[in-house]
Amino acid sequence: MKKSSYRYFIAAIILLAIFAVVLLLVKKPALTDATVNKSKPEVLAGNAHKDIDKYPGSSAEKIREAGAVPVYGNWRTFTTRDGLPSDKAYTVRIDGDRVLVGTHDGLSVYQNGKWRTYTTDDGLPHNGVVSVDISDLTGDVWIATFGGLCCWSAGKFETFNQFNSGMPNDLVYNVFCYGKDVWVATGGGAGCYDTTTKQWKIFTEQNAPMHEPWTYGVSAGDGKAWIAAWGGGVIEYNIMTEQFRDYVDPDGFMEIDLQPDDGVVHDITTATAYCDSILWVSTYFGMSRYDGKNWKGYFDHDSGLASNFINFVRAEGKVVFVCSDNGLSTTDGNTWVTYKKNDNDENGKAIITSGNEKKEIPLTPSIAHNFIIGVDAQDDVLWVATSGGVCRGELIKNNR
Amino acid sequence: MKLNLISFILSLSLSGSGILLISCNGRAVKKGTFVATVVPENLMNENSPDDEIRYNLTGSRIASFNPDLLKPARVLTKDFYSACMPSISYDGEYMLFAGQKEKNDPWQIWEMNLNNLKFRKITSIEDDCTFPAYLPDGGLVFTRKIVNDTIKTALCLFTCRRDGSGLHQITFSPSSNLSTIVLRDGRLLTVTRNLIPSPDDPVFIVMRPDGTKADIFYRGEKGTCLPGRPNETADGNIIFAEADISGLSGGDLISITYNRPLHSRVNLTSEVNGEFNFALPFRNDSYLAGWRESDSGNYALYLFDPSEKSPGKLIFTDPGFNITDIVASDEHERQRKLPSEVDMQVKTGLLLCQNINFINPLSPGTGNHTTEATNIEVLGIDTTYGLIPVENDGSFYLKVMADTPFRIRILDEKGNTVNGPCSWLWLRPNERRGCVGCHDDPELVPFNQVPLAVKKAPVIVPVHIKELKEKIVELE
Amino acid sequence: MRKSLRIIIPLGIIGILTGVFYFPFHKWAREHVNYMTATNDHPLMCTSCHLYIQKSGIIHKILNAQYYSPFNLALSENGKYLYVVAEEGNALLLVDTEKQKVIRKTAVGTRPHTVILDRDEKRAYVSNQWSDNISVIDLKSFSVIDTLITGNGPAGMALNSDGKYLYVVNSFSSDISVIDLSTGTEEKRLTAGNNPAGAGITPDGSRLFVTSRRTLSAPYGDTLRCELTVVNNDNRRVEERRDIKSAYLMENVAFTGSGDLALIPLIRPKNNVPTIQVERGWMMTDGIGIVELKPPGRTIQLLLDEPNTYYSDPFGIAVTPDGKKAFVSHAGVDCISVLDLDAVRDIIAGSTDEMLNAYSNYLGISSRFVIKRIPTGANPKGLAISPDGKLLYVAEHLEDRIAVISTDSLCTISNIDLGGPRRITVARHGRRLLNNAGHTFQNQYSCYTCHPDVHEDGLVYNMASIDMGRNVTNTQSLRNIGDTPPYKWNGKNQTVYKQDGMRFSTVLTRTEAFSYKELDAIVSYIMTGIPNPPDLLYNANGELTEAQKSGKAIFERTHDFHGNEIPVLNRCVTCHPPPYYTNRQPADVGTLASTDDSMLFDTPHLNNIFASPPYLHDGRAKTLEEIWTLYGKTEQHGSVNDLTKIQLNDLVEYLKSLRDPAYDHRESEILQASFGHH
Repeated sequence: MKKSSYRYFIAAIILLAIFAVVLLLVKKPALTDATVNKSKPEVLAGNAHKDIDKYPGSSAEKIREAGAVPVYGNWRTFTTRDGLPSDKAYTVRIDGDRVLVGTHDGLSVYQNGKWRTYTTDDGLPHNGVVSVDISDLTGDVWIATFGGLCCWSAGKFETFNQFNSGMPNDLVYNVFCYGKDVWVATGGGAGCYDTTTKQWKIFTEQNAPMHEPWTYGVSAGDGKAWIAAWGGGVIEYNIMTEQFRDYVDPDGFMEIDLQPDDGVVHDITTATAYCDSILWVSTYFGMSRYDGKNWKGYFDHDSGLASNFINFVRAEGKVVFVCSDNGLSTTDGNTWVTYKKNDNDENGKAIITSGNEKKEIPLTPSIAHNFIIGVDAQDDVLWVATSGGVCRGELIKNNR
Repeated sequence: MKLNLISFILSLSLSGSGILLISCNGRAVKKGTFVATVVPENLMNENSPDDEIRYNLTGSRIASFNPDLLKPARVLTKDFYSACMPSISYDGEYMLFAGQKEKNDPWQIWEMNLNNLKFRKITSIEDDCTFPAYLPDGGLVFTRKIVNDTIKTALCLFTCRRDGSGLHQITFSPSSNLSTIVLRDGRLLTVTRNLIPSPDDPVFIVMRPDGTKADIFYRGEKGTCLPGRPNETADGNIIFAEADISGLSGGDLISITYNRPLHSRVNLTSEVNGEFNFALPFRNDSYLAGWRESDSGNYALYLFDPSEKSPGKLIFTDPGFNITDIVASDEHERQRKLPSEVDMQVKTGLLLCQNINFINPLSPGTGNHTTEATNIEVLGIDTTYGLIPVENDGSFYLKVMADTPFRIRILDEKGNTVNGPCSWLWLRPNERRGCVGCHDDPELVPFNQVPLAVKKAPVIVPVHIKELKEKIVELE
Repeated sequence: MRKSLRIIIPLGIIGILTGVFYFPFHKWAREHVNYMTATNDHPLMCTSCHLYIQKSGIIHKILNAQYYSPFNLALSENGKYLYVVAEEGNALLLVDTEKQKVIRKTAVGTRPHTVILDRDEKRAYVSNQWSDNISVIDLKSFSVIDTLITGNGPAGMALNSDGKYLYVVNSFSSDISVIDLSTGTEEKRLTAGNNPAGAGITPDGSRLFVTSRRTLSAPYGDTLRCELTVVNNDNRRVEERRDIKSAYLMENVAFTGSGDLALIPLIRPKNNVPTIQVERGWMMTDGIGIVELKPPGRTIQLLLDEPNTYYSDPFGIAVTPDGKKAFVSHAGVDCISVLDLDAVRDIIAGSTDEMLNAYSNYLGISSRFVIKRIPTGANPKGLAISPDGKLLYVAEHLEDRIAVISTDSLCTISNIDLGGPRRITVARHGRRLLNNAGHTFQNQYSCYTCHPDVHEDGLVYNMASIDMGRNVTNTQSLRNIGDTPPYKWNGKNQTVYKQDGMRFSTVLTRTEAFSYKELDAIVSYIMTGIPNPPDLLYNANGELTEAQKSGKAIFERTHDFHGNEIPVLNRCVTCHPPPYYTNRQPADVGTLASTDDSMLFDTPHLNNIFASPPYLHDGRAKTLEEIWTLYGKTEQHGSVNDLTKIQLNDLVEYLKSLRDPAYDHRESEILQASFGHH
């Protein structure tokens, strides 16, 4: 055996050993009683957990290779046939024992195995519900629609719009609850409503480093808020000091990333997500990750990313869920799991990408549609809002 | 002849002491005394038209007496052929009464100074004027006989100043209004009997002293009438006599509460034989009441205690005479002086009804109907003022010629009568009134909703009048 | 001779001067008084207007007095100690119920509202409505040991079942502060109904009920909805927002011991009905809301009024421990209604839903469950029942007295004097009149009914001025209006004297008008005794935020953002100059509706405008923003079309910062002093 090949052999063994240890460390918590107990029996009604051994041997191996990135299977799709008002689902949010789905024709709530839809007749300002968030403090549901923001509290809807309040604009793309504050991203700027003082702060190109008021997404954490501003990259706002900092693409509007990992991949940003001190930023030209010091860019050609055209991202722990126009991707920044539906049938696949290796797991059934706008995960369940209905997947557990 | 002799002796015997009294102290009628209408017994049974008998007390006298002193009564109206229905001014200095100087004179309203018994005529009208009462605003109200084409023959209420000026008619329905008193809240309480299309049983009606907001106050059982004058007690009850329509002059004493008059009737004399014709609150929950044992007897004055099963202690009697009412001659508290929305330069009043199809689940049968009504017809005494469609919510809004009696009946789309016609209504100039529905329960308040009818201009009644030019009054 | 001339000549001169000047002066005085009072028979008493309306100085001090004005009560478990909130004394009083006298007193914050005791009676909590905090009082030392920060206008309070959390109802900011007593800090803020006040924990400790006073904003003509907010005690989140329909001013809530019923005093206004008569309950009715705490969980409303007598302004509610009787204080008619709760249960059990619904508009129903009306001193408010259920304590707000009533004989057995001034000042007399319905036909409502807290009730009324269904108007506040005549939206009343004179009785009270002595008193109170609360939410210390400063610049600007000069009449500050932000002139701001008669509207003052929604003469604007976003497009109500959304928000923030000028300088001492008066 040549010296060089011997070195490669040793390195491969070490890598495998490290990978195995990481796998065990990451997977262990998933097996604790606590985790199992957290799962909601109502949501999972009628669906047994699929564990990895129930998959064909080759698939089981592949799933293990996903490592820290969870893999979901046993997909079930809900459409108008099941009681949704529309198959065009814009957003999904899990709220305890119920799931809230924003659609083109109203807000649908899935509880105890049944769907109930709320529309303008019930008090919604508009039937186009594009984003939903829940206040951890009060339990109030904040609903972003194409006709204003709405607070749904104990069954009563209260509308905030640009005419009756300090709301920047009625075209609300995203809502995010952060403590007592409710942040919105709208077509006329971002806004922050303090639910205790009843005062609005709004941010546009007039008072914040934006090129134009159009904003698509907002998220907050650790005393900061990050606004995804169309053409303005990411605007970081320090809530305490009221200071701004903007992150723009050093390459300007060029659609290719000339200098890798030099900043946000593009100024046309669509969403931000912050968790575990990591900021994820989605654009229509790829995705970025920022750890507070360094930026890293991800594209469909150099990672497992389903598509560069990204509608929305949501971070849960170290993992981020990426909603694109050609499938759903999940990653911890290294390993990727991407779900895609076959063009000609109900089935699809999960593509696990680790480094240069790509492995496919057939999924029967699969997600309903590859155009994905919303996602939410809790415990062992993943809900996905697509243009073909809303889908629910279950975590495939690793028993080894 | 007999009457003249009796009255002559009575007046002669008592006037002397009267003159003596005046000379003894400054006041002819002492404080603490009462004044009563005293009627010769033969007249009480005179068979004249039933509305007449209540006031046409020919040969009657007004006498004063002190229930604590066993002195004979003293006639105060010796100069009159007939005098009755005394009403005392708030300061206790004056007395209004209805009187005839000579036998064939029309009844007129007079005022007597109780210090010196000097009197003066207040009204000088060809028609009979009776049942006077002082008003809190310093004027007086009385009943006057009216005969005209609008309301045929009726006994209407009028008001005027104490000098007789400012004469105003305040009721406009074809009915008899008798025995009027002023309630503590400032409204008039009067015994009213509708005469058209046929005479009804008398009821108590309340209204403001300007004739606005006339409304039912109390309705007795069928076949009963309300002889005599009602009185309001200090603790908020109304006491009056209620008789069988054939009994006419007397029956039981009834108490109702001011707060809820239609549903608080208590018979105070159900266990007492004989007939009562009035009761005046006296002391310690007792009353000075007129009572007689039977038709053959005369009404005398008793100190009646409702807790006892007897007419009580005899206070005053006058052989051959009946006592038909009584008032205290002392000063007393003035009732509320109510403001008036009436403006005589306005020709109309406004009437709003919330929903003619309202069905009251609390009183099934009373005015409730299953057929949907779509129109109302406003009726005069012998004419119709027009057919008016109601709004989808059952509301209507009318601008009605003021001081004109009218009734309303409701019709379905085919023109069949669904309900009504209601009892007679009238609106004073510039009066605004509302009702919940037709034949509504007076204890129901309106729903808090905007009637569709007020989103349009009011419909002018009679409907043939398309435009009105009149003074615009801004109340608010 | 010369000596006598020395006397005669000056006397002659004086006589001549008197003769020359008396008649012209008398003529002028007559005209002046006739104009100011809109009457022609007012006795020419200069003191009527010029003496009793002094807001400060020695005369004010001499004429007025400091009263306690007891508002709410709490009783110790053994019934020996009564804790009394002195609203104007800014104090908590400790009354020994056996000795029947005040034995301790401690100062708390401004305008205290409610007092509650913790379970082991070591501490009392007093909500200071005008200080935005809670005074924590150690009952042993009877002194304030801590102050807890709350939302705006803390009023009703309740401790959760384990006593670890304090719920504070913020009446001005319309929310509920959940305070963690282990840290003394606010854990969270829950949204409540509009202007909430009353709070109570259900007997099983599972839920908090919070009652609202104002209705949820809605266009004129919509069914009124007043919110009962129900908080789940386990997760301290709102679990239900129940609309109590066609009602408002739900001041308090009480529960039966068995936990079958919640009882809420309320008022059922008739603001959507043209105000054409008072008879037959066409203006206001008063009732009790009953919430079934067990299935089917209905809400029933029963009227407390009677066909010819009304019992206005129900406020306090207390239930005997055996759940047999309830007591409701009627602040407007100085009496307590005694309710037979078994009779109420029978009515509910024996009626269909349709009948129960009809009872909410049926004046006869009270005769089936109200067993007595007990007279009290002036303006009864808070109630407390002794633990053995034998005694009812009544806070006689404008009598400075506590009435003690036997719940068996239903008679007042004694009165506890709190030690306030014995004399009744002219302004105090005026305050009593304003709070009393005795000057309304059949006592149907008081001035206070439509002007709760001497402010406004947020409703729009159809005053049916010329014709029904036209000229609807939004109730205006009475706070600090003395310096901003004329009055009414059309500005037709040049003085308060005219506003409350004969016209007032013809159109509103429909009974005998106030006497001149009573008018003097009413005017004195309105002109001197109604301060605005501090603007602690938007302008606590007079220092404007950056947004408010920017809004101020827009308010005062002379040029638009394109550099064009704004016509003088179209500048905010022209019609709304400080200190009251009104030029007191009529104006057309393009808001005349097709249902309005042609008229100009009086320019309203803007201090504390944040507290007076809805806005514009007919209340069409639910918020300040809507004045310009929806109803100011014609540029007649100020030049705003060049403003960006940020700038409009800044302008609104500035308007919300406008507070009573007395808070801005040394006059604040005067205002603080006047808090305690009347």
